[in-house]
Amino acid sequence: MKAMLAVLTAVVVAFALAPASAQQGVTDTEIVLGCSNSFSGPLAFTGEQATRFGVDLYFKVVNDAGGIHGRKVRTIYYDDGYKPQEAVANTKKLVEQDRVFAIIAPQGTPPVVATLEYLEQNKVPLLFPFQGSPVTRGRKYVFSGMTLYDRQSKMMIDYLAGPRKYKKFATLYQDDEYGKAFLTAFEKDLARLGLKMAAAESVKRGVTDVSAQMAKLQAAKPEVLFIVLTPGPGAQALKERQKIGWTDVVMVSSGPLTDERYLALAGDAAEGVEGLSLWPDPVASDLPAMRLYREQMQKYFPKNEPNRYSISGYFAAMLFTEGAKRAGKNLTRDSLIAALEGIRGFESGLLPPVSIGADHETQKQGFWVRVERGKFKQLTDWLRSD
Amino acid sequence: MTTAALIHVVVSGLATGSIYALMAISLVIIYNATRTLNFAQGEMLMISTFVGWAVYQRLKLPLLGVMLVAVVGAALLAWAIERAIIRHAISATHFDVLIITLGLSLMLRSAAGVAWTHDDFPFPSFFGDRPMAVGPVRLAPVSLGIIGASLALMAALWALFTRTRLGRAMRAVAQNQRAARLMGISVERVYSASWVLAAVVGAIAGVLIAPVIFLSSKMGIVVINGFIAAVLGGFGSMPGAVVGGMLLGVIENLAPLYLPSSIKHSVPFIVLIAILLLRPGGVVGRVARRKV
Amino acid sequence: MRRAALAIGALALLGWPWAAPPYFVFLASLIVVNAIVAIGLNLLSGYTNQLSFGHAGFLAVGAYTAAIVATRWPGVPVVAPLLAAALVTALVGLALGIPCLRLEGLYLAMATLAFGFVVVEAILNLDWLTRGNDGLRVPVAHLGSWALAGDRERYYLVLPVGAAMVWAALNLARTRTGRALLAIRESEIAAQASGVHVARYRALAFVVSALYTGVAGGLFAFVVGFLSPDAFDVFLSVDFVAMIIVGGLGSVPGSVVGAAVLTVLHDSLAGFQNYRPLIFGAILIASMLFMPGGIASAFRFLKGDRV
Repeated sequence: MKAMLAVLTAVVVAFALAPASAQQGVTDTEIVLGCSNSFSGPLAFTGEQATRFGVDLYFKVVNDAGGIHGRKVRTIYYDDGYKPQEAVANTKKLVEQDRVFAIIAPQGTPPVVATLEYLEQNKVPLLFPFQGSPVTRGRKYVFSGMTLYDRQSKMMIDYLAGPRKYKKFATLYQDDEYGKAFLTAFEKDLARLGLKMAAAESVKRGVTDVSAQMAKLQAAKPEVLFIVLTPGPGAQALKERQKIGWTDVVMVSSGPLTDERYLALAGDAAEGVEGLSLWPDPVASDLPAMRLYREQMQKYFPKNEPNRYSISGYFAAMLFTEGAKRAGKNLTRDSLIAALEGIRGFESGLLPPVSIGADHETQKQGFWVRVERGKFKQLTDWLRSD
Repeated sequence: MTTAALIHVVVSGLATGSIYALMAISLVIIYNATRTLNFAQGEMLMISTFVGWAVYQRLKLPLLGVMLVAVVGAALLAWAIERAIIRHAISATHFDVLIITLGLSLMLRSAAGVAWTHDDFPFPSFFGDRPMAVGPVRLAPVSLGIIGASLALMAALWALFTRTRLGRAMRAVAQNQRAARLMGISVERVYSASWVLAAVVGAIAGVLIAPVIFLSSKMGIVVINGFIAAVLGGFGSMPGAVVGGMLLGVIENLAPLYLPSSIKHSVPFIVLIAILLLRPGGVVGRVARRKV
Repeated sequence: MRRAALAIGALALLGWPWAAPPYFVFLASLIVVNAIVAIGLNLLSGYTNQLSFGHAGFLAVGAYTAAIVATRWPGVPVVAPLLAAALVTALVGLALGIPCLRLEGLYLAMATLAFGFVVVEAILNLDWLTRGNDGLRVPVAHLGSWALAGDRERYYLVLPVGAAMVWAALNLARTRTGRALLAIRESEIAAQASGVHVARYRALAFVVSALYTGVAGGLFAFVVGFLSPDAFDVFLSVDFVAMIIVGGLGSVPGSVVGAAVLTVLHDSLAGFQNYRPLIFGAILIASMLFMPGGIASAFRFLKGDRV
């Protein structure tokens, strides 16, 4: 019992002595950021790439160049395994124990949404979450990252039904919030043009076979088949199409799916697949900024391959750095938000100039690609959704 | 839907069903010897497939060599786990061994993520994806190959169990441990042999299925379907495991065709619950009486 | 002496939110929630040897019931959603428990595992009720005009409920039912021979276990504030099983300690990122190898009791 009292006293004293600085998470020499993310569970790969090899990569470069107004950025990450309750626990720990300045690049709709209210109440900025559901829209302390799904859907449908003149669409989607959100958005955008989704089939996470779904979709004879899946099942769907010799259909992959890994998995079954690309090719693009990213990756994490997940975290860190620089020496949560809201025509070299308005959306574009001889070939200029 | 398409879907289901059957067999091998469940069976499959792949990346072995490496890796891993961990807990309650294998599955999956990331990787295949036309029906060589290879492996296992000393010893232990011991069989050696054999079957299943579902730290999840298959066939029965696996693969593929989307994903589990409640001995087995 | 220790313990628990930083108040609430589940599971597994890998499913039923009641009737006293959670989950427990009577050991584990999956699928598909994949935001709990909006307030909701559940479980052993359950644990045949209706008590254990987990689910909903099907996967069920095995099968204090140890362990390992499951698994294995009866038996051993 004595030991217990001693622990209690120690906790109280430690709490009372916690430094009361002007702004939580910011000192003269340091800015502390963090997030809860998937390091285990279904999205572990994405989570690790976006944070430790994306956000951290950019901040290593910034820190080695002297930091932001003399402050080095330090990051803290906790694993939530894609469970909302653990995301809540981790986020509370980050805010209350680690006293972070802001949350940067957490992942997944359920874990992120679970922390929204808490972060808003405590006025903690939630910066560039890696998720596309529009629930994050219109909140004072939230800035969305990925191009939101409803915008992606609008660009895809407008392009395919517009210049490409397709009329009959079907969807193969993952049975979770990512797949369902896309399906709902597709249906809405088709209805706007007086069209209907001819067929939609769902696939469970961790599935071993998609032949039944593909057979059903083929029977509906669509001109275009949207694939809203993760890379593994997405590539399985492409291989399945090859197995059944279904050639008279255009396979179109969603923004989050259109990446090089998915191509590598599908092999020659990916030939002719189209999709909305949210990023220039991180492996092959000749953009100077993309080359710089690859050089930095080679320098700091020589064993890690460049990919779209790390580039999205890298970009999030870049946007934060721009905002924090503009906020000046007196960095507070409110000054950061004002600074981010003031960004107009920021040249990242990766995406078209970024302007952040009252809607707090940092990405609203994508471009059309088709796989030709194992590589994404750009078919359009940047498409806009506003 | 045309009959041709239906046949393709069923054959595809039989291919994944063969893998479930192999998983079920490896679970049953360990269960029969030690009366415990190995929850880490799926993760052992995954690790051995990764080991084969890692060697392939380095040395560019032919695929048969990759399979051999995976099999040897699996055998060593299983032997080490059995000797170092399971053997010490075997006298404890079955719950303890269950938790240990659960802990192992967490560890192995995490270790694979640390060593090779949680990414998906393409895996070389013995068989092609390009369809072969048999009349109006299109069949994928990969599906037929998986089915064929699995059946061959099952036949080999059957020979092992009926024709060899080890096999007979394993069956004796499964029937009555005390009697087996009295007959001079080393039960401990049978424990080890069962773990190794189960892991070897798993490794072959892993190399067969990896080209289809891709190599990743998540692929061990097929063990759940292996469990269901084993229960469908009546846990403990080898032929039952084969039938259960094939049945599950086909059911899983037919359900999306004929059922509303709202329940199709629950079908394997609903089938499992129904079997447990109606015929706990499995679809082919006898109904086991509960001992009071 | 014993009474004094209890009083100090109670005081420490009551004073905790004023002494500890807010995050630890939240963590303490989670521990209480998990402890209630662990006690419920232990009543099933520890007493009647029925191992369940589906308690995350019961937790989900309780959590969604409470959240839906609290959403449909805003401002209703928090007792109502909690009672509804208890009742609905107990009914589900009955519906699952009766057919499961003929199953044991491995087969029961499989059936409950499947139950857990079916519950998650049901949540996904009843989206008009549960909001499916989008997840369900849980309204703030109310007690009269008092809104339990902060971690401290919620702790004072969770703590007394937890204390009552612990008290009830401890006293169960003294009732006729408890003695019957204990008899079944020692030997089913002997119990049957002494006139204990084994099947009835096994079913009862299922219902009580589900009821406990349902109440915990209701509290879970209010403490976490957001529900989605991803929250209740099979690994959560595994965690609950680990809690009672680490804590000690058949021991109420063991359940509480097991829940506390595993919850704190999970929390403190979060920072190890992708090494977390590796370390967690290693600890599970080590505790099984070196402490097969769980923490409860280690204590008994230290006190010199026969294990």
